[in-house]
Amino acid sequence: MKSIQKKRLKWNTKCVLCLLPSLLGTLAFFVAPFIRVIYYSLIDNQFRKNFVGFDNYIDTLANEYFLLALKNSLLLIVICVPIVVILALAVSLVLSYGIRWVRKTRAAFVLPLVIPTASIALIWHSVFASDTSVLPVYLLFIWKNTGICVVLLTAAFTSIDPSLFEAAKLDGAGSFTLHKKITVPMVMPTVFFVSLLTIVNSFKIFKEIYLYYGTNYPPDHSYTLQYYMNNNFLKLDYQSLAASAVLTSVLIFGIVMAGMALQRRYRQ
Amino acid sequence: MKKLIGIIFAVLSAVFLLPVAATVFLSFYSEGGLTLECYNDLLFDCFVFYPMFWNSVLYAAAITLIQLPVVILCAFGFTWAKFKGKGILFIFYIVLMMMPLQVTILPNYIGLRDMGLINTQWGIILPMIFSPFGAVVMHQYMKGTDSSVIEAARLETNSVFRVILVSVIPQLRVCIFAVVLFVFAESWNMVEQPMLFLNDKGLKTMSVFISESGSYAGAVLFPAAVIFLIPVLLLYLFFSDSLEKGLTLGELS
Repeated sequence: MKSIQKKRLKWNTKCVLCLLPSLLGTLAFFVAPFIRVIYYSLIDNQFRKNFVGFDNYIDTLANEYFLLALKNSLLLIVICVPIVVILALAVSLVLSYGIRWVRKTRAAFVLPLVIPTASIALIWHSVFASDTSVLPVYLLFIWKNTGICVVLLTAAFTSIDPSLFEAAKLDGAGSFTLHKKITVPMVMPTVFFVSLLTIVNSFKIFKEIYLYYGTNYPPDHSYTLQYYMNNNFLKLDYQSLAASAVLTSVLIFGIVMAGMALQRRYRQ
Repeated sequence: MKKLIGIIFAVLSAVFLLPVAATVFLSFYSEGGLTLECYNDLLFDCFVFYPMFWNSVLYAAAITLIQLPVVILCAFGFTWAKFKGKGILFIFYIVLMMMPLQVTILPNYIGLRDMGLINTQWGIILPMIFSPFGAVVMHQYMKGTDSSVIEAARLETNSVFRVILVSVIPQLRVCIFAVVLFVFAESWNMVEQPMLFLNDKGLKTMSVFISESGSYAGAVLFPAAVIFLIPVLLLYLFFSDSLEKGLTLGELS
């Protein structure tokens, strides 16, 4: 009896050890240096190392470029995230239940996901050369981010057991009730997740804007948080860089936690 | 109604494909006609192109190949190990997965600087190996696999590696394909890391080559963009079917 228990314990230890390579790497490249980043954000500079409390944070929050970047990121979320999610929902609905040849168009929506932005920025340049508005950036964002939502949503739609529909039909449910009672509750958690993912992805759009505008200072409307970070990187201004990294991480942490709480609450 | 949806989808998918199609078309277009001249210029006259292309291949392949065992082990640990705080640790991985590069790149840079890896190939490869996306996806998928096969394998052997090799990996096929496609594409598309972590021109990647468009003759850029597309396109053609089956990310908590 005891030996079985021992064996089980040993097995569990081995399973825990499996986590080790990933944990060590995460510790070395993300966690430990992030603690350094927090430290940097609280001192005046790297050589004098005087503790200045929240001064760097106050400076950052008062910096007009940081605020501009933040405003642009939030604007992108408010305008583009609903478009991406609704478009992806409509597309994956048709891809899951529509006529057969239409399903073949799936690749067109998913492909942008893997296409390198560097390749595509060129054509954006040629087409929108004279357009000075924010539209090209928004279009690029929608083009690039619809794919992952389509993949996840189609997976959610097709994972619904068809026998559920059969059973409901036998009970005399119409097509509207069918979707209201079965499809919507089954897919809703994924819709939450996909919205969360797109919100988070909107903070990642720097690469697209950078490849599109190329300079250190794009037009005001496209100046996002990462431009702010990038310029401070070039200036080697670690203190404001650290402060804005911590601020952004707190913001994202809040968004992710709120999203997960919403998802959990919906399920109950 | 069906016809209308059909037409809408034909148009919509054409719009989504247009940027790629136009890039390919323009790569063959020069001075009013279709030619191979631009490809000629790129492949035979533009020597900076080759090392940068191979750097991209090297980084993306190394990241994908080294990340895969790390990720499979990690997901196995998350699925089978029992210890206090596992749930919170996994939520930490999810949150880290969601963090944009603007948050992680400074810690990455500081970590690499302290290890003396700035301006080396490992500086590009190492942090990407430990990006948490693969582990999260793989664990989500592994939760849904058949555990009785693993129990059966445990009766035969005491080695975790053998259990994983014999009874876990065969069940993970589609998920592995999906992760490979994703991680390769993500590494292939890197722009910020080679820009900020590397000074040596000889270490930089194809994405940097294309983005520094000003310094090269414009005509070679479109062919370069097309050649840059091809590896991910091929990988997509092979693995696209696995995407939907392998990415079970919808429900996290």
